[in-house]
Amino acid sequence: MMADLFSSGGMQALELTLQFAGQRQRLIQSNIANIDTPDYRPMDVSPAKFQKSLARAIAAREQLGGDQAGGPLLLNDSREIVQQADGSIRLNPQTASGNVLFHDRNNRDLERLMQGLAENTTTYRVAADLLRSRYDVLRTAISQRV
Amino acid sequence: MFGSLDISTSGMIAQRERMASIAANIANRNTILDADGKVNPYRRRMVHFAPGDPKAGSSEGRAMGVHVAKIEIDQGEPNYEWDPSNPYAFKEGPRAGYVPTPNINSVVEQINAMEAARAYEANVVAAEATKTMMAQALRILG
Repeated sequence: MMADLFSSGGMQALELTLQFAGQRQRLIQSNIANIDTPDYRPMDVSPAKFQKSLARAIAAREQLGGDQAGGPLLLNDSREIVQQADGSIRLNPQTASGNVLFHDRNNRDLERLMQGLAENTTTYRVAADLLRSRYDVLRTAISQRV
Repeated sequence: MFGSLDISTSGMIAQRERMASIAANIANRNTILDADGKVNPYRRRMVHFAPGDPKAGSSEGRAMGVHVAKIEIDQGEPNYEWDPSNPYAFKEGPRAGYVPTPNINSVVEQINAMEAARAYEANVVAAEATKTMMAQALRILG
């Protein structure tokens, strides 16, 4: 029962989203830092693919134990996102291609990078705020005891 | 998460070094003597970036940052200006009467400076976004 306290409902999903956005932030930062590096190709992971595999994991868990089911969410391992034994995820970025190649053989795209940065920051913020409100609910429940 | 600020910092440092070399190029646009007072026009400095920052304190910075791999000195021909009354003009030879001057194009340098400033700004924005994320993560606790 106590284990379910921190893994029931959306908490696991929020935690994974935080991990994903936190690690993707590094990739975006790296792409921005290397914007003038010759031969550098931006690396990224697809947030859409992560969302899809998260949705599938939530659906699978619901099938097992209903709406308020607890327990770890198991993501389907893909080429880009690998879930480790302790439940945390590790990103395996892919080199993006299909952009204008500059003369220094770097296919930078500052606008897209900044868009990705803004989106990723917002995703992180949403997950952090929702997780905080879940903890607030828990705290309220705890403080009601006699 | 804290180490990820190193990535943006390495980008800022690299762009600042690039800006310093551009500033030196513009400052020495008319320098025709070297430090010993001999006729030897200033040669343009160019920075070369490479991925990864060996000087970063965190593994993220070392793996994913950027650093200045090399500052190359342009070995191209200097420009020659016709100025026979100049005491530094060649006295004899095929270029008699010409003064060698640095082959620095200030338009190119200005554009490079603008590019470096924009790239620096992009790194600042990324660092700010990361700082915001860190603050949000801390707020989860209370």
